[in-house]
Amino acid sequence: MQYNGGSIVAMVGKNCVAIASDLRLGNQALTIATDFEKVFPITDRIYLGMAGLATDVLTLRERFRFRVNMYSIKEEREIEPKTLAQLVSSTLYERRFGPYFIEPIIAGLTDSSKGSQPFIASADLIGCLNFAKDFVVVGTAEDKLLGVAEGLWEPDLEPEDLFETISQTLLNAVDRDAFSGWGAVVHVITPDKVITRTLKGRMD
Amino acid sequence: MDHFPTNWGKPRDEAVDVYSTYPLHSRPRNQVDTFAEGVQHTQQPIVTGTSVLAIKYKDGVMMAADTLASYGSLARFKDISRLHPVGDYTVIGAGGDMSDFQHIQGILDDLIVEEFNEADGNALGPSEIFEVMSQVMYARRSKFNPLWNSLLIGGFKDGKSFLAYVDLLGTTYQSPSIATGYGAYIAIPLLRKVVDGREKDVTEEQARHILEECMKVLYYRDARSLNKYQIAKITKDGIEITDGLSSKTEWAFAESIRGYGAQNQ
Amino acid sequence: MSHYTRTQSQQHPTQRQFNPYTENGGTILAIAGADFSVIAGDTRQSEGYSIQTRYAPKVFKLTDKAVLAVNGFAADGNMFVKKVKQRLEWYRHAHSKDMPLRSIARLIQTMLYAQRFFPYYVYNILGGIEEDGTGAVYSFDPVGSYEREACRAAGSAQSLVQPFLDNQIYFKNQTPVLGTSHPTHLPLRHVVQLVIDSFTSATERHIEVGDGVELYIILARGRGTQGLDSFKDVQELTPHAEGERLFVLRRELKKD
Repeated sequence: MQYNGGSIVAMVGKNCVAIASDLRLGNQALTIATDFEKVFPITDRIYLGMAGLATDVLTLRERFRFRVNMYSIKEEREIEPKTLAQLVSSTLYERRFGPYFIEPIIAGLTDSSKGSQPFIASADLIGCLNFAKDFVVVGTAEDKLLGVAEGLWEPDLEPEDLFETISQTLLNAVDRDAFSGWGAVVHVITPDKVITRTLKGRMD
Repeated sequence: MDHFPTNWGKPRDEAVDVYSTYPLHSRPRNQVDTFAEGVQHTQQPIVTGTSVLAIKYKDGVMMAADTLASYGSLARFKDISRLHPVGDYTVIGAGGDMSDFQHIQGILDDLIVEEFNEADGNALGPSEIFEVMSQVMYARRSKFNPLWNSLLIGGFKDGKSFLAYVDLLGTTYQSPSIATGYGAYIAIPLLRKVVDGREKDVTEEQARHILEECMKVLYYRDARSLNKYQIAKITKDGIEITDGLSSKTEWAFAESIRGYGAQNQ
Repeated sequence: MSHYTRTQSQQHPTQRQFNPYTENGGTILAIAGADFSVIAGDTRQSEGYSIQTRYAPKVFKLTDKAVLAVNGFAADGNMFVKKVKQRLEWYRHAHSKDMPLRSIARLIQTMLYAQRFFPYYVYNILGGIEEDGTGAVYSFDPVGSYEREACRAAGSAQSLVQPFLDNQIYFKNQTPVLGTSHPTHLPLRHVVQLVIDSFTSATERHIEVGDGVELYIILARGRGTQGLDSFKDVQELTPHAEGERLFVLRRELKKD
C-alpha cells in the first residue's frame, strides 16, 4: 500500500457528492510522476477511485470498465452506485487469498428519475464495504484525512462549499504525508453537471 | 614475586601473560565476571497467582483474590493468601510471581516496622504505601530486573478511600474499580456497571455480592483459578480479611454438552 | 602455549528479553497565542484494547507560568514529570524565583538526552509564558530534540489532529483575500474551541482517545480573562490575579 503512495477522499453534500485524489506516483520514497490520476468516471454520475498499488489500479480500471460495460449491455441501463459498490466488492473478494493491493472509493448520484440521492462507499483490499453517510477516505494519508475531515465536514454543503471542504481536507492531509501530494484533482458531481478541477498544492 | 601491587590477589591469565611481565597500565583484566551468569533476573514468573479484584464502595474499599498459586498449569499451592495487610489502613493484593510477592511483603513489613520505630505519631496510609510500591516497581524495571507482579493497593484512611494499581513496568493508575489478569477482561465490565460513578452509594452487601459474582464467573472461565478466595474489607474500622470462601457453582449443564461433561452419548 | 579462547563462557543461551516499555495511548496538544498558551490532553489511559482508567492526567502544572504535557509510556511520563518538578524546586531554593520557560525547555532537553541509551519513552509538550510575556509552546521527541512552535499535537492521534491544526492555526492551503493577511495569533476563545473540537474529532476516530479532556490555560501578566468568560466551569489555579494566571477547563468526551 505504501509502494506507490496516494490518497483519496469522498464526501456527501446537499444533492451532490465530491471525490478527490492526489496526483503523486512514487516508487517508495522517490516520486516518479506527478500527474497520476486515481479517480475514474464509471458513468457520467458515478466515479470510482482506487488507492494502492499503481499497477493494480490500472488493471482494475480496465476490469471494472469491462464489467460495467457487460452490465449495461445485459441490463440495458446504467449501473447504480450501490450496484457498482457490490460489483467492486465481489471482484475484490474473488481474490480473497491473493488480493489486489488497492482500496476503492465509490462516489456518485443515484438514478435521477427516482430523485437522485448522493452515494459514497469505500472498501478494503478484499472488498469489505463501508457505506458512510458523511465521508470516506483511503490511501497512505488515511488517518490524516480522517482527522481533518472529522473537523471540517458538515452536513448539507452546497456544491461550491463541498468543493472547498474536500479540497482543504485533501490538501492539508497530504501535506503531512510523505507518500501523497503533488497537487490534486477534485470532482464535484451534481445532478446536472460534474465540476472537475485540478489543484496545485505544495509541490514537494 | 609479582611486582605489580594491583595484580596481587588476582589470578594471572597465562594465556596472555605467561611470565608475569605485563606492565602495570596494560595488565589484562579478567574479561568476564565468573559469577555473572550466576546472577539471574526474573525473566518469567514461575509460581503464579491469577486475578485480583477491588472496588471502592460507601464505607471504603473491598478486594478479592483466590488462594491458588499455580506452577504453570499445575495447581501447586492451594492455600496461599494473596491479600496482605500493610499497617492498619492498607491491603495489597497481588497477581503474578508469588516469590516476588513474598519479597514485596518483606519490604513492606520492614517499612512498617521502621515507620513504627520513628514513633512520631504518623502512620503510613494507602497512598504512601502506593507511592513506595510504584517507586520500587519502576526502579526494578529500570534495572531490567522486574518484580513480576500486578499489584492492587487499597485502603481507607482519614475518611478517604484509596485504590490503585502498579505493575512490573511501574505503570500506575487509580480507578473506582480495578482488576488484574483475566479479571481485567472478565470482571471489569461487571464491576464498572455496578460501581463506577456510584462508589459513594454502593453498600457493603452490594459490594460483597458483586465481588462474589465476579469470583464465580472467573472460576468458571479462568483455568488458573480456584473456588476458594478471600475478601478483604478496609473501612474506618480497620482491615478485615476473610478466611477461604467459596461460591456455589452449577455444573449440571455440562452433562448435556458433548465434549464438556462425561462422554456417554 | 595454550590457546586463549572465549567460547564456552561467552556463549550465553538466547533468552526472551524483558520489555521495559509499553504504550498507554492518549493524545496531547498545545497552542500558543500572543499573550496566552493552551495545553491540553485527554484523560484516558489504556494498554492494548483495555481501558485502564478514565481519569489519569497527562498535563501537569510545573510553575505558575509553565505546564508540561507528557504522552507515551505512562510510567516513564510520571517519573519524568516528578524529576522535572524536583529540579524546578531546587532551582527555586537556589535562586528564589521560578525558572524561566526557555530554561525549563533546555532543562528538559538535557534530562531527556541524559537517558539517550535507555530513553524515557515519552513525547513532551511544554507550554507557558516566556519572560517577554509571549505565549510559547516547546515540543520534544523522546531523546530531547526540541523546538519552539505555535502549535503541536503529539500522541496516538497526532496524525489526525496535526494537519487540522496546520489548516486552522497556520492557515495552510488558504489564501487570504487580496490586500489582507492571515492573523499570526488567534484569539483565546477561538483557540480553546479549536482544541476542544480537535479532541472531539480524535475521540470519534481513534479508540485510544476519549473519556475526558483537560485544558490548561495560561494568561500572561496583566492580561484580562477575555475569551475565557464564555466557557463554563473554568477553574483558576493561581491564588492571585497579579502575575501570570493559570486556569483549568475540563470537558467530558465520549467513553466508547
